[in-house]
Amino acid sequence: MSRQYMEAIVKEFLKNVKKKLPEWLKEKKKEVKDILAELEEHIWEKAEELSGMAQPTEDSVRLAIAHMGTPESIAKEYKRRGTPKYYITEELWPIYTKVLTIIFLVIIAIGIFSTVFNIITGDLAEALNFFSFFTGFFSAFTIVTIIFVVLSMEGYFPEDFKSERELKKEARRLEIAQEKGLPISSRTGKPLKPFIHPVGEIIGGIVVIIIGVFLITYPIPGLVNSMNPGFLLILGVFGVVIIIEGGLDTTRGVIGNYKVKTHQIIHIITIGVKLASIPLVVILWSRPDIIPFLIWDNSTNTLVNIGVTPEFYDLCRNIMAVIIVITIITPIEDIYKIIKLEKYKVKN
Amino acid sequence: MRKIIKRVKELGPTALIASREFRNFVEKFESEINRGISTLCILSIINQAGDEGMYGYKILKELEEQTNDMLVIEEGTLYPLLRKLERDKLIKSERREFSGRPRNYYFMTENGLKIYNHINGFFSKLTESISPLMDMNVNLKEDYIYCPNCANKIDISKEDFNFCEICGLNIRDLKERRLKK
Repeated sequence: MSRQYMEAIVKEFLKNVKKKLPEWLKEKKKEVKDILAELEEHIWEKAEELSGMAQPTEDSVRLAIAHMGTPESIAKEYKRRGTPKYYITEELWPIYTKVLTIIFLVIIAIGIFSTVFNIITGDLAEALNFFSFFTGFFSAFTIVTIIFVVLSMEGYFPEDFKSERELKKEARRLEIAQEKGLPISSRTGKPLKPFIHPVGEIIGGIVVIIIGVFLITYPIPGLVNSMNPGFLLILGVFGVVIIIEGGLDTTRGVIGNYKVKTHQIIHIITIGVKLASIPLVVILWSRPDIIPFLIWDNSTNTLVNIGVTPEFYDLCRNIMAVIIVITIITPIEDIYKIIKLEKYKVKN
Repeated sequence: MRKIIKRVKELGPTALIASREFRNFVEKFESEINRGISTLCILSIINQAGDEGMYGYKILKELEEQTNDMLVIEEGTLYPLLRKLERDKLIKSERREFSGRPRNYYFMTENGLKIYNHINGFFSKLTESISPLMDMNVNLKEDYIYCPNCANKIDISKEDFNFCEICGLNIRDLKERRLKK
């Protein structure tokens, strides 16, 4: 049997393997070429060995190909590269949830827009008809899930959707992060985005400290002379509180994107400091009479404190209540940051 | 199993292997056991080759010879496995020409060797531990110690060490006791 005929048999087998390879791999022309070259080399060597002579025979070539397994079984191995998580691989799971979130948000936005539009046009029945809304959710969920299950079965990874240039950029970013000791996600293996902008944090912290110093030192005596000493004491204590808060912000800025645990501890202290100002507002809530109300006195050309009149006490109390509520809510941001920082602990 | 199935016509017709249900179960079970072990054995063979490296066909030949034809993998599936190991940076490859044909030679990376020693240690200790259940005797070689914390396999003759490089456990006492033996 001629060499050309045997080569044709081998080429036919390799063609079938190429056809069965997953789509993400077919995109990588050089890798496919290498894979097929390696398989071909293997077949010829095996065929030579099976023939018992220096040259392969048609039978030995066919037998060598049979030993290789079917093109499907070879391709199947290339598809088996994701980490199973339900029916979608762990590698694709973050993209899957992200896509679903975006689509759901778009559906919600469209739903709100159409509901408002129907209310404006007086079509209340249509405004309250949420059937199409839920149909949209269900259809989107089904379609997206099916797509991702298929991609998982084909062995797609997130990087298969990126160009060579993007992958090189990412690799470079990873190298830099490793050199600088910046946190790397254990889930994606990529550098995490900086969790703090040090310069902004330092500037913000310094501004807060300056305001705190103003509250303690009363740099404009004319402004505070007429104020109630009790109110001034509260102002001073509040000044101390915000100086501490500013100091903590500045410290986080100086630490920068390192020492995650220290950042978390600072956030916990910040929560305590923020909540510490609540008793001060409660005192003002119970003693609205000490709250100053300044007016300009034309005869003396100075600001004069006339105090809050009793009819405005309720208004003052309501304002203090709102401030208390806001003060209780603001630590949520710190709690969120403490939780978010957990993922930065990895390989830090 | 596949070898036995190919010979099924020569075998007794009432044998259990003639049953499709039995074959499906056993094949799946063997495949599950083989998957991890094949990877470990391939890494072991590449490690044995050292700086000379080894190409795909030779790896398979070595695998067959060193396991007495017991661990046989479908030849075409070796290459996806090698690519995966290379992508995971456990091995690296180098293309060389041989008799006018290109060949990919595979070598263990530094990181790959550490992972291999750890998996090897884990597998060895696991096999030793389950051996009474399987009515077999497993005697691990005295040339190695196994980290009591993570089972990492450590060659006491080659390395100057005091800590396990995988989990960081202080193993100086363990090493000294073994060297005194």
